[in-house]
Amino acid sequence: MSKKWTLFDYINAFFMLIVLCVTLYPMLYIISVSFSDTVYILQNKVRLIPRGFNIEAYKMIFTDIRIPRAYLNTIIYTTVGTFINLFMTSLAAYPLAMKTFFGRKHFLIMITLTMFFSGGMIPNFLLVNSLNLIDTIWALVIPNAIWTIELLIIKSFFETLDKGIRESATIDGASEFRILFQIYIPLSKAALASVALFFFMGHWNSFFIPLVYLNDARKYPLTIVLRDMLIYDTAKESNMEDAARMTPEAMKNATIVVSMIPVLLVYPFAQKYFVKGVMLGSIKG
Amino acid sequence: MNSTTNIFNKNTNSNIEQNNKASRKRLNSIWKHIKKDKQLLIMFIPCLVFYIVFRYGPMYGIIIAFKKYNVYQGIIKSPWVGFRYFEQFFHGKDFFLLMRNTVLLGLYHFLWTFPCPIIFAILLNEVKAEKFKKTVQTVSYLPSFLSIVIIVSMVIDMLSPGHGIINRILVFLGFEKQYFMIKPKWFRTIYIASDIWAGTGFGSIIYLSALSSIDQSLYEAGKVDGCNRFNAIMHITLPSLFPTIATMFIIRAGNIFRIGYEKVLLMYNPMTYEVADIFSTYVYRKGLLESNYSYATAVGLFESIIALIMLVSANTLSRKLSESSLW
Repeated sequence: MSKKWTLFDYINAFFMLIVLCVTLYPMLYIISVSFSDTVYILQNKVRLIPRGFNIEAYKMIFTDIRIPRAYLNTIIYTTVGTFINLFMTSLAAYPLAMKTFFGRKHFLIMITLTMFFSGGMIPNFLLVNSLNLIDTIWALVIPNAIWTIELLIIKSFFETLDKGIRESATIDGASEFRILFQIYIPLSKAALASVALFFFMGHWNSFFIPLVYLNDARKYPLTIVLRDMLIYDTAKESNMEDAARMTPEAMKNATIVVSMIPVLLVYPFAQKYFVKGVMLGSIKG
Repeated sequence: MNSTTNIFNKNTNSNIEQNNKASRKRLNSIWKHIKKDKQLLIMFIPCLVFYIVFRYGPMYGIIIAFKKYNVYQGIIKSPWVGFRYFEQFFHGKDFFLLMRNTVLLGLYHFLWTFPCPIIFAILLNEVKAEKFKKTVQTVSYLPSFLSIVIIVSMVIDMLSPGHGIINRILVFLGFEKQYFMIKPKWFRTIYIASDIWAGTGFGSIIYLSALSSIDQSLYEAGKVDGCNRFNAIMHITLPSLFPTIATMFIIRAGNIFRIGYEKVLLMYNPMTYEVADIFSTYVYRKGLLESNYSYATAVGLFESIIALIMLVSANTLSRKLSESSLW
């Protein structure tokens, strides 16, 4: 392709600029409202830049017990969940990556079938209920401990590692567990990082599972608290009497910003692994 | 013993003995194999238990769709009722509505959101300024990192009649302000449009990488033959993308009616039920909120089977039309 720009290139560039703006605007708007004074918000004066810059909303967040607690919950659930995911996935991928593993083909079929058919919402709920996991962190991290797609990705990655390494380690007397944890996993850092990212985002953003399995409001993660603020307020918007008890606009937006923070911080670094992860998934999937 | 009769009579003494020896040998080698892989098998046990309990266990639980499930009696002791709940569902007033909503939402969603990532990828690929291209790419993935709660919050906020930015623009342009979220006629548009916003970037990743592996010399050759930009796209870029498009088509088409209940759940309200209520949200309400377990499971099973049929059909269709298929 030549370096000179044709009319098409100008139009295309303009189009991409619009895409850039449209993608970013909602997020910038939310951030900006969260830093604005309520007075200006209600007067519809905020468009892109904060008006009446203040951090009142953020102060309110930290004094309202719901949000810091929910934030802590989300951090705990995500950390524990991701750790369990990585552990279980590596543990399962290793034997499956060994071509002569007893029963390998049958296990793979058993696992792959679950991608096409599942028990459904109600049987899953009844199972978790019967195991007495309801209202505990375990309901959030155990029923989805292994994600089939990620399992297959890591298995494929393990398969690309040089067989010789395992052979010489076995000759030296290493157990399979040692080979997995001291050789294979360190060698797979990149693939594990990509997969860990998906696990992380999955737990951080999960809404439905906590909604169904948690009853105690003190255990709610950020997503549920945010949704309560949102739903409660939409219902009340038509009833002006309750307007005073509504969560101030700025505070709602501040909560959104606060739950976006890890995403925004992690994103520049994670973005690389993210694309790799999707690629790994698509080739092997 | 006459050797020719042995051919017709397999159960001669020496044959039985030979069979026994062979199966003992096979059992022995199987046992040896298990012993050799002992550590690997131990390593695999947690995964095996996981799949049996948490993936296949619920599949067994589906039988409550055919029983009048009673929490106290448990699955095994609850009485059989056959297809009663299915009949109840099919003859009920909800069925047609749910069917229509699910099919229409799924169909429109697919028609609008399938081409967008492809078009975006092709156009982005044509961008000549490298830095700009990378920036747009990176920014476009960002929305898919946000939780569905955040996205719906943004949507509701921007469409709010009081201070929402969209209504402010409408009023500025001289139009009436709209109560978007409670009007059934806007539901599908809002649902699909927000999905396009949030999903196009992520969806384009796979096409962009396929595009980057197209042999550049094809374009050079095309130019020599006198192609302009447009022709190059139609005759080189699109055909090269075809396998990727076909694969994505199967996967997406197979899931066309498996609409995510999370987003609908967050977006709908009693005013928009008539358009927004779909199978999965119905299962949620009837099963988890109203504890109508058997009935909800029956509906859920129906939905899963339709999804399976869709997947198999999409795969067969793709196999007939091209070389690509999932299996």
